[in-house]
Parts: sequence; C-alpha cells; structure tokens
Amino acid sequence: PELSPEGHPDDIFPLVLTSATQELFGCRADEDVTEKSPYKLLQKDDIVLDMRTRAAVSDFSPVKQIVLDYPEEEMLLVFDADFTHGQSFYLVLTPEAKNRILKPPEIEATEVFEAEVNKPPQPKHWISLGSEKEIGEDCLKETREKALHNNTNICIITLGTQSSSLICLLTLLLALLSPCPHQLKLQLRVDRTFRMPLSFSDHNSADAKDSHVQCAPYQDSRFSIKKLQSDRGTQAVPRLQSKSCQTLRMVPKDTFTQYEPRVFSVEELETILQDESLKNCCATQTPRILHALQQEEIMNVFIDDWKALGTGLEAGDWSGQASDSLVLHQAFADQRFSKDKKISCLNWHPTIYGKVQHFKAISSEEPALSGPDPALIVFYSFSDPSNPQLLLECPDDILAFGFSPSNPNIIVGGSVNGQVVLWDISAHVIYLQDLKDNKENTTPVARFCAISPVESRHKAQITDVQWLPQTFEVQKKILPDYSQLRIPSAEKLKPLEDVNTKLFVGMEVKHFTNPKFGNRPTTLATIFSYMSARKLWLHPPKFLYNQCFYLFQNQCTFFSQTHDRTLAIKRICIMCMFIPDESGRPHSAKPLLCFNYHWRVNTMQRSPFFKDIILTTGGPTFAIWKEGAVEGPLVASQYFEHECTAGCWSLSRPAVFFIGKEDGSAEVWDLLKNTSEPLQVHAHISNSKITCMKPWTASGEKTFALLRRVCLIYSLSGRFYTQTTIEKYFELETESLKNYLKGEDGCTKQNKKMEEVKRQMVRYVFCPVQMGTLVQKSKFRSYGYTRLRGIPVKLNLLKSE
Amino acid sequence: MADVDETLKRIESHKGVIGTILVNGDGIPVRTTLDNSTTSQYARLLRSFTALASSAVRDVDPQNDLTFVRIRSKKHEIMVAPENNNLLIVIQNPCE
Repeated sequence: PELSPEGHPDDIFPLVLTSATQELFGCRADEDVTEKSPYKLLQKDDIVLDMRTRAAVSDFSPVKQIVLDYPEEEMLLVFDADFTHGQSFYLVLTPEAKNRILKPPEIEATEVFEAEVNKPPQPKHWISLGSEKEIGEDCLKETREKALHNNTNICIITLGTQSSSLICLLTLLLALLSPCPHQLKLQLRVDRTFRMPLSFSDHNSADAKDSHVQCAPYQDSRFSIKKLQSDRGTQAVPRLQSKSCQTLRMVPKDTFTQYEPRVFSVEELETILQDESLKNCCATQTPRILHALQQEEIMNVFIDDWKALGTGLEAGDWSGQASDSLVLHQAFADQRFSKDKKISCLNWHPTIYGKVQHFKAISSEEPALSGPDPALIVFYSFSDPSNPQLLLECPDDILAFGFSPSNPNIIVGGSVNGQVVLWDISAHVIYLQDLKDNKENTTPVARFCAISPVESRHKAQITDVQWLPQTFEVQKKILPDYSQLRIPSAEKLKPLEDVNTKLFVGMEVKHFTNPKFGNRPTTLATIFSYMSARKLWLHPPKFLYNQCFYLFQNQCTFFSQTHDRTLAIKRICIMCMFIPDESGRPHSAKPLLCFNYHWRVNTMQRSPFFKDIILTTGGPTFAIWKEGAVEGPLVASQYFEHECTAGCWSLSRPAVFFIGKEDGSAEVWDLLKNTSEPLQVHAHISNSKITCMKPWTASGEKTFALLRRVCLIYSLSGRFYTQTTIEKYFELETESLKNYLKGEDGCTKQNKKMEEVKRQMVRYVFCPVQMGTLVQKSKFRSYGYTRLRGIPVKLNLLKSE
Repeated sequence: MADVDETLKRIESHKGVIGTILVNGDGIPVRTTLDNSTTSQYARLLRSFTALASSAVRDVDPQNDLTFVRIRSKKHEIMVAPENNNLLIVIQNPCE
C-alpha cells in the first residue's frame, strides 16, 4: 500500500486516545487490547456520539469526516504497541483495509510443483576438443589389408628359428634377387622338423636355468604388521585351602561336692573321743600349739622393723648427712600451773595419738619462795600449747611418773617423801581426747586414787618408777640393819581387772662402807627375785642418791649405777652389774662388775635396738657400754665443757643419740659418722639446762627436751643406718676393746709404777673408732687424765695405733 | 574325753585364739568352737593342704615327716598339727 506523505498508509490514521476515551470504549491499553490482540471493533454510532458530546475535545475529532462518511457500522481500532505509525492507536479508515487487516489473504501454502516431464536426455552436438587424436593413437588399426597367398612362384625358405635376423636378411636378399619383387611372394618354408607332426610334451621350466625368468616372490616387510597390542583377559582366582582345627574341650568335672557336712551323732562322738589315739594326738601336739601361740603373742616375726621404720627416702644404705635440723615444734608453758616450777619428769602418753599429748610432771623446786603451790602433773596436748588438758593432783613433789603400759589410764608416780601415788584418769581421758568440750574453761583436776601409806613409805626420795611385766614374782625383804633407800620399781602389769591388787617391789639400797674402796661410802642395791623382766632404768635427778637399774632381759642381771655424793670432794661412781640367782635370794647378790665412774650418772638408757648396748651420760662425758664386755665402755666420749645432763637414744636410728647439755644445747651424735664430735649441735635451744629428753616417734621423729620451766618439743628427722652396720660396729668395738685391753695389760706391766701412783685416779680407756668401712683397723687412743682441783685435764696421749 | 576337752580348753583360753577344730582320721570335725560351715570348710581345706605338705616333705627326704604347719595370713595365723591322720587346727589373731 502506498504510504501517505505523513509516513503511514492512507488507510489508517494514527490516533491518540486518552485514558478516559479508552475506558469509555473499552480499549484500555494493555488491558482490553494487547499486543497479541490489538484489534477492537468500535461502533460508528458510538464514535459519532462521542464526537458530539465532546466536540473538539474528542480524540476522534481529526477523523470526524471520515468517520461520518464511513459506510459500515463498525470501525477497526488497532492498538499499536510498537508505535509503528507514530501513535499508540490507529484507526482503519476504509472497510477494505479493515477486511484486509482482519482477514489477511491466505498465503498459498501448497505451491503447485511443476511435474517434470520424464524425457530421456537428448544427445547434444558433440564439440571436438582434440581428444580423438589421443584415442586414435592408441587404437590398433590395420594399415593394409590382409594378404592372401597362393602358389605362385613362391620361394620357400626354410629357416631355423635360430636367428631371426638371419631370416630378415635372407628375406631381403630374396626380395632383391627376384626379378619382380612385387610379384615374388616370399614364402618362408618352415623347417622340416616343424613340418613333422607335432607332439607336445611336458617341460618343466625349472629344469633349465635360463628357460624362464621369474620374479621370485619375497616377503615384503612393508606388509607385515607387528602386533603391538593384544587383548588379554585377567581373572583373579583365589587360592583356597581347606583347613580344620580341633579345640580341646575341657569338661568340667566336680572333684567333690558337699551338700551337708558329715556330722557324727552324739554317741559316735563320745566313742571317738574316748579313743586312745585321739588322746595321744592331742597330748603330743598341744605343747607345740601352745608354743606357737605364745610365739605369736610375743612378737610378730614377719615384720621387718627396719623397713617399717624407714620411709622411701631413707631406705637402703646411706652415707649422707642428716640434713634436717632440730626444729622447735612446740613450746608448752602455762602461766597458772607451770610458772616458777621445775619440770622433773616428762612422758609421752602411750596411746593417745593424733595430737600427741604428753605429760609433764612438775615439781616445785623453790617451795619457800613461790608459796605452797601444789605439785601437779600437767597434761598438754599439741593442739593447745598454753592450756593444759588435765591436771593430776599430787600430794607432794613428784620426781618420777609413768604410764601403765597395759592400761594407759593408770599412772603411777613417786614423790619426794617416799610415797607412791596412783592415778586413774579413765574418767578424764575424754578431755585428753578432745571429745568433750570443757565448757567451764577450767582445767579438770584429777585426784589420786591410791597412795602408799605414810608409815610404809620409802625412806628417801623416789627417783624412778617403772612398770614391770606380769611375770614378776615379788618377795619383800626388809633388812632392818641397814638404812634403807627403797626405790620402788613398779607395779605389776596386769589386766585391768587385777589393778586393785598391787604389789610393791622395793629395791633396797644398802649403804655400807666398804674398806676396799677406802672408806668411801658406797651403796649397793639388792634386788628381789623376778623371772623375766623388762628393761628398767631410773632417771636420777641431781639429788643425793641416784641409782640406775637395769634389768637384763631373760637373764635377770642388774645394771646399776650408784652415785654417792659424799661430803668429801671426791666422787666415785660405781657401775655394778648384778646377777642374782634363780632362787631369788636378794641379799646374796653380788655385783658382777664394778666400774669407777667419776661423775654422777644422770641417764642410763638401753638402746632400743640392741639389748645390750647402754648409753650413759654423766658429768662432762657420756659412754656407751655393752653388757658382756666387762672391760669397759665401748665408746667413751671426750670431756665436754658443759655437763651432759640428759641423753636418749633415737627411736628410729640405731646409731644416733641425743645429748642434752647444761648450757641448754642439744647435740645429735651419730656413731657411724664420727665418734669424736657431734653430728649436729643445736646450741642454746633453751636458756636453762636440759633436764630430760624423751624421744617419741610420731610421723618422723620427735624428741623433746625438757627444761626448767618450759617444755619444748623438737622435731627432727633424718636418715638412719641399717641395723646390721651398727651391729657390726658394736661387735668391732667390743673386739677392739678387748684387744686393746690385752695390749693395755701388757703395757701396764711396763708402767706398773706409774699405775700405783695413779691408783687414786681413774683411768679411762678411750676407744673412739673411726668407722669408715666396716673392715677397718680401729685406732686406739687412750688418754690418761687426772683431776686437779676437780677439773679434768687430759694428760697425754699414751698410746696410739 | 575329759583330757581332750581340758587340752582344748587350755588352747582356747590362750590369748588371741579365735577358734580350734579337732578333726579325726576321716576328715570329720570332732570338736570345734566355730560354726558348722566354717568348721567343715576349714577341715576340708586344711586336710588336703596338710596332706600335700606332708607329701612334699617326704618326697624330699623319705625319713623326714611333717610335724607342724603354720599358715600366716594377713588377718590371722592358722596352725595345723597333724598326728596319725588327725588334725588339730588352731586359728589365732596375731598381736600387733
């Protein structure tokens, strides 16, 4: 269709329709009419009506005339979404265009294919391009016609087949020779052999060498293909092996079952019990059983004491230093009770452990000054160092007391006026165990429950009290001829039900003057009979008569040391060993051995590990003795500046003992290390002298030193040597002592004169032994000394090896 | 019977003794201070034990013989005195 000058075809007219018009005619853009269905048929009357109502404002006003002239009733309005004609709508002006638009002419989809007439191709005129020449060259053409020969002057030449060139020559010759060459027809005659009848035969070409030419076949390698890949198949085949095994089946089998024990009836029992063999059996076996029972009761053979004592660090042979020092653990002092009083005896409570509690016995030393304070035994516990837990009232000053080993609630004490006092604290023991609070804030006081009557008391001070085991037999002996100094030894150790039957075993000490000793009164002690006894030692304070007794287990020996301080200047101490006989006659006992010991012995203690080793301290020395070694002390120490006032063995270390001095220092001595000087000196641990030392093994080891007014507890821990080394040490000491004395005797024979001069003096044998190894020669040193005005002076070194 | 009783009483009154059992040759307890089940158990076990000990001793030296067996355990000590196939068993608490 032709385009109008405006750029759009003549048939249509682009229109702008306002939204009001669109709504009026129902042709809203993108709602009623869309791209897909852009045609909308409008009634002509509606358009005319709209034009009339709205006049110039109507959108159809530009096409007013056309609409009025429009022949049909409906006009086509097309939504032009792409604005192809300039506006969003266009109106189709002519009905033909409308029809055309609405019904586009059908495109002839089926085009009529022209049926091709099947004609054979016409041969075309061939144009020669020069190829017939080449064809003609290759064609075989006969250049002349075939010749026919008949017999007219034919010269027949028979030629062999040997040379063809000869034939040609001959032919040429003939041809020349003939007068009419063109008439002469050459006729070749074949050889006669050829004219003969032919017979063919086989002929192998391979027989003659040159009869044939052949091209031998050969394998061309170009045509052999090497197979580089070949398809293979793999199959995994497991190797199977049949095996079998057989388990041993254990069939559980009852060895025996018992549903009910077999019992005898009463009659059977009676008959069996009457049987002689049974009686015999019982009779013979009973002693064994009793023996074994007793063994069990006495001691446990399976305990290794050394292992039990040592802890992990200390086990084994050790040669180091005792590294720990004396540590003040606790000081016990009480203002009310222990002020201005001297402590005379000290004991640990044997069973109440935990807070280890101990006793103090306090005796007043200055009664005149401090007033009539009652003497007391004070219990202290570790938990409360300044308040005593319990007080025991004493009739007089108590110098010694002890716990009953079988019943720690029974305490016996010996007083200065010779009375023996007994306390029973079973009612008060709860205070000690801290089970009952003391609400009144006062210390409970317990009175004694028994006291020996004044008439039968000892005449002198009781300096020591010891408990003896039950096996004592007691005989009382009164020797009215002598002034008696009776030292009570103990009550019997009995079970609680027999506590009321107490027996006093009195040790009598007889004073007599013995001219052998030159008018110096000496004292001997007699003892009563006994069977086997425990160790007994008496701790002598510094009073008039000090006596120490030892009871040697199972042998009933006494080891007593008496000290007699007379008004004379010289003091002689005698160590005596008594062996009373079995019959129990006390007064027939004689001292087995007497040593002259210069100073008052204040401590005599057996080693807790060895039955026969005894430590004595007295004066400025201390010595170690062995029972049986009658020659003298095994080890005697040097003379110290200060007096040794207390000593005790260590409970856990066999070679260690502690010495307390007058100046308040404590020393730790170790026999295996060095016998000439202490291992450790703890100087001035107290202001006053040390009056008592008692060891106690709590965790670790504790020793405490008892002083004048204050009780101090020290703890000390260290290492120890095994028992065997100490045993060897003591054995060697004994041997060396014997040897030395033998040699000494020889020496003294030479110096007899000197001996007599020095008769008054006491000679000591010094045997300090340096023990580095156990198999070492011991060195002997002996000193002689004399006393000049009471001061010991070392004379000289008499002998040394 | 009185002898046997008296002997056993002496043993029983010793310190630490828990119980005594007298077993005859058949392995049946004749006299006991413990209860029945314990007694039968002790009799049975100690009989075989004693037999084993005796055979061990005699294997080593045929002229030797077992006289006494003491078994020390943590809690107590068991003493067995064999004689003529009879057994006198005593159980004691060790004192320590």
